[in-house]
Amino acid sequence: MIKYIIKRVIAMLITLFIIVSLCFLTIRMIPGDIVGQGAQPEIREAMEERYHLNDPLPEQYVTFLKNFFTLDFGESITTYPRSPVFNVIMDKIPLTLQLNLFSLVITIPLGILFGIIAALKKNKPTDHAISVMVVLCVSVPSFVFAALLQYFFAFKLGWFPLLLELEDKGLTLTKLWSMVLPVLALSFGGIATITRYMRAELFEALNSEYMLLSRAKGLTRMQSTVRHAIRNSFIPLCNIIIPMFMNLLGGSMVVENIFGIPGIGRLTVMSISNSDYFLTVAVLFFYSIISLLSVLIVDLSYGIIDPRIRIGGGKTVE
Amino acid sequence: MSKKQKIEAAKKAFAEQEALRLQNLENAKTERLSEDDCTFVQMDEKLHDQKFEHEPISFYKDAWLRFKQNKASIVAAAIILVIVLMAIFAPVFSGTSYREQHTEFGVLPPRIPYLENLGIADGCRTMEIQKSVLDTYGDAVVEVIREYNQYYRGKPIPMVEAKVNQYILKGADDYYFFFGTDNLGRDLWVRLWRGTRISLIIGVCSVLINCFIGVVYGAVSGYYGGKVDMLMQRIIEILGGVPFLVMAILFVMFLGAGIRSFILVLIITGWIGMSRMIRAQFFRYKDYEYVLASRTMGASDRRLIFRHILPNAIGPIITQATFAVPSAIFSESFLSYLGLGIQAPEPSIGVLLAEGQGSLTTSPHLTLFPAIVVSLLMLSFNLFGNGLRDAFDPRARGSE
Repeated sequence: MIKYIIKRVIAMLITLFIIVSLCFLTIRMIPGDIVGQGAQPEIREAMEERYHLNDPLPEQYVTFLKNFFTLDFGESITTYPRSPVFNVIMDKIPLTLQLNLFSLVITIPLGILFGIIAALKKNKPTDHAISVMVVLCVSVPSFVFAALLQYFFAFKLGWFPLLLELEDKGLTLTKLWSMVLPVLALSFGGIATITRYMRAELFEALNSEYMLLSRAKGLTRMQSTVRHAIRNSFIPLCNIIIPMFMNLLGGSMVVENIFGIPGIGRLTVMSISNSDYFLTVAVLFFYSIISLLSVLIVDLSYGIIDPRIRIGGGKTVE
Repeated sequence: MSKKQKIEAAKKAFAEQEALRLQNLENAKTERLSEDDCTFVQMDEKLHDQKFEHEPISFYKDAWLRFKQNKASIVAAAIILVIVLMAIFAPVFSGTSYREQHTEFGVLPPRIPYLENLGIADGCRTMEIQKSVLDTYGDAVVEVIREYNQYYRGKPIPMVEAKVNQYILKGADDYYFFFGTDNLGRDLWVRLWRGTRISLIIGVCSVLINCFIGVVYGAVSGYYGGKVDMLMQRIIEILGGVPFLVMAILFVMFLGAGIRSFILVLIITGWIGMSRMIRAQFFRYKDYEYVLASRTMGASDRRLIFRHILPNAIGPIITQATFAVPSAIFSESFLSYLGLGIQAPEPSIGVLLAEGQGSLTTSPHLTLFPAIVVSLLMLSFNLFGNGLRDAFDPRARGSE
């Protein structure tokens, strides 16, 4: 197990290194000037000094890496002039995290609930209705949902504010109310995915022999379903819920833009459109770390959640 | 019955059977067959298998028979066909081009012949106008919905909520913009279909290339196994670790937005899923007897890979490719939405959606139509893929 973890972490570090190198190359190779065309000579000089822009490329690369591993990501150029990128990102994380956590809080229970209902009522009208909803929600992109929700519920009906309430620092009721639409827009896809998996897994579990055994031993249908089938179908579910977090972060990029939420997603978009390269790189680095960590957690959790899967050591089939 | 009795009974039965057998043997000895009793059944006939009475059903026909039963997939396939045809021909047969600007006809709502008589898509918009200037609108005012007073510094100003025909108002009475126009007066109908065309090109091209790379990579990795496989899988592991979003943003920043760079972005990590599937197929089939037989007869590796093992995977390949198209289209519109889209006059669905988002509350038609098309496209491709999967692999039916 330990050998396996070490192997995975090494692979992860190599990936991270490649990402960082790609970031560096992209920035330096990009047509145009990092400093910005209209910059005053003093600023230009300071920037060149700060980021060693006049050194030969390999030397620049070394300093870039050195700075990176001491968590010095440079300073924002245009979006938040002169503030360290690291602080800017730290500033934005809470809001994005709030949004995603709320979304997960609705997504997981609802997805599981619908999945269970669909599996228990397989091939009945309820199941068909849920299946139609699942296909719809999986297919329609989250930004279409966001636009539709914003138009109908915020603009036409006026039930919710068009944009996120930012007046209050803390988590007040008005802010929570204004978060309903973005959270909903983020959740539809996730609910559908979980429902689909839950339905397939639970249906398989319901038809398995141990269910027959538990019924034969005298458990009621309710007991055997709850204690054996549902429990067992949770195992594979864990493996899609963790990567979903990463997908949510990606999806929230667009949703944040639509609802004017100043989170990480909006920061990314702004940094790209303002050609604020250091900020872009740092944000991308942030996304990479989250994604790699979630993959690692999934891989390691296989063995913990389901003891039947042994990781590392011995031969593996396929 | 006691145990002793049981044993006695069994012994007795055995003895009887033995006697009967000996008797039969004795009978056979006395009863001899002469040569005339025997005839050759097929002395001069050729021996061959019976001919099939039915027409043989090929793999594809089999799949087609099953596919036909899935109504949703048939409808989806028809929708895809219609959208593809529209994407190819609608821009050609329209009077305007996708970049032609009529700045005087900015943001017109949709107007469609015949439908306009029914009150849908009639080019009208509800406006709030001061009553005193209502006359200047002339014929454009179709209907006054209500009158009310707006208070400005305590003084009541009579206002009118009226349905105004924008086409008459802007002097575009001779034009029919089916889906309306954007703020530069460009025809959304043409732009949308042209955008669909570009989105489809990006989706289909990237999927085809991904299939090719994935199949070759997966086949080599799965067929040779061992060290080759080890090395190739490590490469995949490292490459696959890079999040798509990060890779995409970097590449589009570097290469600049355009059809080619979008396709490239979708290729870089897009083939991994396909190659994994193909590799699993090869692991499954490479030790089958028929492969061994073919190898014994001297078939080369290339022949074994492409003629003998790969055709087993044709169903899953087609299915997976079908599912990959909507996700490619989604990625394209997603990136466009983030401002990394195709460059200006050229539209794509994502670019149109992003443009529409800015004026969602005033001219919803700019968002509505691209949203409908992209949703329909993704929905149909998913349903079509479901149908294909069920047709090629009946065992997976209904398991999602």
